[in-house]
Amino acid sequence: APAIAQSNPKITWRLTSSFPKSLDTIYGGAEDIAKHVAAATDGNFTIQPFAAAEIVPGMQAADAVSNSTVEMCHTCSYYFVGKDPTFAIGTAIPFGLNARLSNAWFYQGNGNTLLNEFYAKHNIYGLPAGNTGAQMGGWFRKEINTVDDFKGVKMRIAGIAGRVLEKLGAVPQQIAGGDIYPALEKGTIDAAEWVGPYDDNKLGFAKVAKYYYYPAFWEGGPTIHAFINLEKWNSLPKAYQAALTDACAFANTNMMAKYDSKNPMAIKQIVSQGTTLRPFSQDILEACYNASLEVYKDISSKNADFKKIYEDQVSFKKEGYLWMQLSEYTFDTFMMIQQRNGKL
Amino acid sequence: MFEYGIMPPAMFLGMIIFMLYGFPVAFSLSAVGLFFGLLGIATGHFEFAFLQALPLRIFGIVSNDLLLAIPFFTFMGAVLERCGLAEDLLEGTGKLFGAIPGGLAYAVILVGAILGAITGTVAASVITMGVISLPIMLKYGYNPRLATGVIAASGTITQVIPPSLVLIVLADQLGRSVGDMYLGAIGPSILQVVIFLLFILALSIFRPKDVPPLPLEARGEMNAALVIKVLWGMIPSIVLIFLVLGTIFMGLATPTEAGALGVVGAMVLAALHRRLTWDLIRQGMHSTMTITSMVVFILVGATCFSLVFQGMDGGLWIEYLLSHVPGGAVGFLIFVNIFVFFLAFFLDFFEIAFIVLPMLAPVAHSLGIDLIWFGVLLCVNMQTSFMHPPFGFALFYLRSIAPKSVKTRDIYLGAIPWLGMQLILVAIIIFWPESVIYWLDKTPEVDLNTIKIEVPGFGSGSGNQMPNFGLPPMDGAPAQPGQPSQPAMPNFGEPPKINP
Amino acid sequence: MAALLKLSGLIDRLSEIIGKFSGYLVLFCTLISAGNAIIRYLFNYSSNGWLEIQWYLFGFIVLMGASYTLKLNEHVRVDLVYGAVSEKTRLWIDVLGLVFFLIPGCIYLAWLAWPFFTISYVQNEISSNAGGLIRWPVKLVIVAGFVLLALQGLSELVKRIAGLMGILQVDTTYEKPLQ
Ligand code: NA
Ligand code: NA
Repeated sequence: APAIAQSNPKITWRLTSSFPKSLDTIYGGAEDIAKHVAAATDGNFTIQPFAAAEIVPGMQAADAVSNSTVEMCHTCSYYFVGKDPTFAIGTAIPFGLNARLSNAWFYQGNGNTLLNEFYAKHNIYGLPAGNTGAQMGGWFRKEINTVDDFKGVKMRIAGIAGRVLEKLGAVPQQIAGGDIYPALEKGTIDAAEWVGPYDDNKLGFAKVAKYYYYPAFWEGGPTIHAFINLEKWNSLPKAYQAALTDACAFANTNMMAKYDSKNPMAIKQIVSQGTTLRPFSQDILEACYNASLEVYKDISSKNADFKKIYEDQVSFKKEGYLWMQLSEYTFDTFMMIQQRNGKL
Repeated sequence: MFEYGIMPPAMFLGMIIFMLYGFPVAFSLSAVGLFFGLLGIATGHFEFAFLQALPLRIFGIVSNDLLLAIPFFTFMGAVLERCGLAEDLLEGTGKLFGAIPGGLAYAVILVGAILGAITGTVAASVITMGVISLPIMLKYGYNPRLATGVIAASGTITQVIPPSLVLIVLADQLGRSVGDMYLGAIGPSILQVVIFLLFILALSIFRPKDVPPLPLEARGEMNAALVIKVLWGMIPSIVLIFLVLGTIFMGLATPTEAGALGVVGAMVLAALHRRLTWDLIRQGMHSTMTITSMVVFILVGATCFSLVFQGMDGGLWIEYLLSHVPGGAVGFLIFVNIFVFFLAFFLDFFEIAFIVLPMLAPVAHSLGIDLIWFGVLLCVNMQTSFMHPPFGFALFYLRSIAPKSVKTRDIYLGAIPWLGMQLILVAIIIFWPESVIYWLDKTPEVDLNTIKIEVPGFGSGSGNQMPNFGLPPMDGAPAQPGQPSQPAMPNFGEPPKINP
Repeated sequence: MAALLKLSGLIDRLSEIIGKFSGYLVLFCTLISAGNAIIRYLFNYSSNGWLEIQWYLFGFIVLMGASYTLKLNEHVRVDLVYGAVSEKTRLWIDVLGLVFFLIPGCIYLAWLAWPFFTISYVQNEISSNAGGLIRWPVKLVIVAGFVLLALQGLSELVKRIAGLMGILQVDTTYEKPLQ
């Protein structure tokens, strides 16, 4: 019947990922989206994923969506903080939300609505489409016991987190990707952060830096986004919009699931190579926390969008972390004791 | 062949035709890309807006800081070429080996390897060695084909010996560390030098007339003074090797920055030789500018081509072709190497690395091939792109400096045995992966079930943490409300206990 | 034709000035890179700005230097055919190549890059790295580079046509550039 034909038009989109295929877990999110959309629409709406640089370089993905070079991309919002710091909140800001609360804020709080009001200014519609969970704080050649130990530490760390550590005296050096490993090996830089055990292990950082610090307080539960060209999104039939929304939600959950199932083995592999695990001390975290608040105050005074969305997230965070203490934290703590006592 | 339509293969054909036309490669590549871009819009492969990716891609090229190695290494080569360092090395080594048949050829090979450990670009090696030793070799009766062949080939190994621009680019494209690539390339570099030396040895036995020893008056008496002079002449090279590799090893510079320090080092050496003039620097930076611009503009042209190629599903097509090569991983490797070898007739290593490698890497990865090994293998294979007629750069450098008496035909034919030896090395690496892998750090296999991690506690001690929520004691007794569970908590600074 | 040749001379002069300037930037860029490494090593001090300026300069060298490289005929060619044909045929190869390959391509790329630059300018885009630089200048260089290259293409075209008309002696000898 013609009515059906009209509501199920053949549509083909390109998706440019900001990630290489070697980051299989994150890149896999784009493949999840494509598969689920095709299945949900009987193959009428197809999305062809491309790895970073196949169409545009990873860091240019938002530009490509914004000017409709491609219909959508799979990326981290915070790659684009240079355009507007507000982009950072979409992924993660230092001492932001964990993965659970991130999803709560996006799906049930104002997160998605507020960010999409902002993204619309860049001709983008955004949907959460992946999460890595709390990341690791990175690889250090020397111990970081006190706040002062950060002074002069040359670290490869990007974005707002770099600004925060700079306040503590660290030296952010965003050297070329291919140079990270040899530079860390020989001490040209003292530290580098990447993702978490599964991805870090593939690059073999355990061979070149002794200390593996945690957590990445700048990435407590970073969300990976699907950015869709706003007009293309609006022109989609409602059924396809729903299919795409669901597919992104699935990719969001599935990526987190992959990381949570792969990281435990990976961390064992890393430790078996002689790596020393270290938490950042509470003093360090507090100093960083205070430095972050200064940074947020500074940005908020200059950027109304940032201020509005940041404040909404903070008020959500206040309530969220009250509830987390009563629920997961207590339960998890008990279970962790059982784990440590070998009773699981 | 036509699983993804006629366009992807047509684009390859179009590229060859456009390039053969003889207009500069960079602009021919962009033209063939844009021409097929218009076709792609007409055939509905994509919309006009798709081509807006081009400035983003060009920006990506410019902002790729690894490419800074191009001007740095080129500049260093330009200074080296003019500062007399290679000259001293070659003269000394030539005299040292001069008395035996094939001595000059051995000297060229060894000096090529030493220069290779200093710089990452082929031009400096080939030209310096060509200028200095080709006339001597010809004068004392070396077969011109052999003389040009050994110079071109020995100049070309610099790209396998770390530091190497090719290895840097390959590491970037494969998502592996440059450090591992360098380690993996050590074995093949040594093998290649040994194969070359053995070839000269064989020649000196079976065709001694091609490689006569130097007469006494040309080499001087072999005595302690000569040996000391040769060793003295080697010091600057060792200093420079240290400057480039050493700054990486001592943690002063990244591999990219080491190139810049190498330039400074080369200038200092030139100054010590009293050959550092403003004119030398000016010429060096001028030629570096044109070469950098020329090479990177090939990438700009290639990016136009490969964007449209992706838009025409060319990536899928290549992946389909490669994943249907029979014979599993070995079949794939053999096919890829033949494929790259033939592409190297038309394309330079940069074009291969940037156009072809991104298509090969995912397939290799999915076949379980170690990407470091794969990268080193391709690097060795791509040596041939410098060597084979008619587009081999090394041959052009030689042509530009060789005397008229040496025919272009001689240069082309002289390259063939050396091409063969480069391919022998390719075969060795394919069937003996240990030649690469041996040099890599290996992670011992561990039974992960035996690894126990005791996570250090967090949140005890002073501060505003909530007293009820510290991790309770290890014996499993429940934490008492209102009481921090300090006793069993390891201190922050303490490393986790690991029971392997 | 005389007026066109005069224009061509002016363009050549412009490219030459910018090209020579780019040459100095090679030296400058090298010294910055080496200096940054040494200072970082000795004093644990650096900034992402010092890293980014290096590829900003690299971008300038590549894009703004390309037209002078074209004037010097140092963009690499596959000279299988080009090296074997007559002087006149070479001029024709260049004329057609300039008209159909180079000039339209460069104008098109400059046109595509223009909004890429203006958006960055309007957004006041900066680097996403701490201590990084403002972005639009390097994007402007993309536009400027292709405009200059199209102009140089025009100049080469004028010279080749004058060569075909016998007004001007054009040297088409071509040697593979060094690499
Ligand atoms: Na991270
Ligand atoms: Na080398």
